[in-house]
Amino acid sequence: MSMKGGGFDRKSKASSEVPASSLADIAFLLLIFFMVTTVFQSDQNRPIEWPEAEAAMKIDEKQKNILNIWMERSGTVYMNDQPFGMTDVSAFVGPLYAASERALVISIRSDRQTPYRFVDQLQQELVAAGVLRVVFATQLEQSMQRERR
Amino acid sequence: MAVLNNKKQKVSDEVPTSSMADIAFLLLIFFLVTTTFPKDKGLAIVLPEQGETQEISQRNIIHLIIQPNGIVDVKRGESQQVQQVRAEQIEGLWRQAITDNPNLIAAVKTHPDAAYEYMVDVLDALHSANAERISLQVLEQ
Repeated sequence: MSMKGGGFDRKSKASSEVPASSLADIAFLLLIFFMVTTVFQSDQNRPIEWPEAEAAMKIDEKQKNILNIWMERSGTVYMNDQPFGMTDVSAFVGPLYAASERALVISIRSDRQTPYRFVDQLQQELVAAGVLRVVFATQLEQSMQRERR
Repeated sequence: MAVLNNKKQKVSDEVPTSSMADIAFLLLIFFLVTTTFPKDKGLAIVLPEQGETQEISQRNIIHLIIQPNGIVDVKRGESQQVQQVRAEQIEGLWRQAITDNPNLIAAVKTHPDAAYEYMVDVLDALHSANAERISLQVLEQ
């Protein structure tokens, strides 16, 4: 360090290379960032045929504040991978809604052939639970129909 | 020069850190590509609060009655005249009606046996026409 010329010479040689070791740190940092921030859907998809809509909009809410309610053609309701009776829905959703500080959004994922009576009953249950924001989940009309298993 | 040689010797002793970046980026790209996010798209509505009822003048209501076969009966206010339309025609119909009466409310009444997709079609048409005041009901017989 006391020899100014020699020290400078050596330093400049080293800095001319790309510091490859720090690249790994950057990559791992990115990897960990994405791993931590990615929130996966907590429940399994039910085998339903989606209704289609052109005017469908993205749900403007965090993933953790969205509760999916699946309804099959027969009117069976599933929440968090568990079947529910229609009359038990409000008792289950009510506390969840209160816990989320009224930010919860219900995404109704119903089969396109479900008779409307069941959809109406579900809406009545949600009104009883105090829920305000509901989304009828659909697929975009033009998008290719995909088989879901 | 002697100093430089010494340094080179040191580098070859170490674990090759440059390939670590490649491995990490490979993992990163793998996860970026394989992660599929659920498609959260839909038609948003706001449910009324419990016990909240509003009296609305019949003049301001357009009744859209969805039959089990998907045909929509349109009834305006108090008039008994029924117009039968398909769901695709509702967008134009609503745009016409809202210019005549800006306070108009769409009352969508679905037959209990009608398929959910018919209601979604009508709701889609109303959303496409920027309708904001929509009431969803089940048709009482």
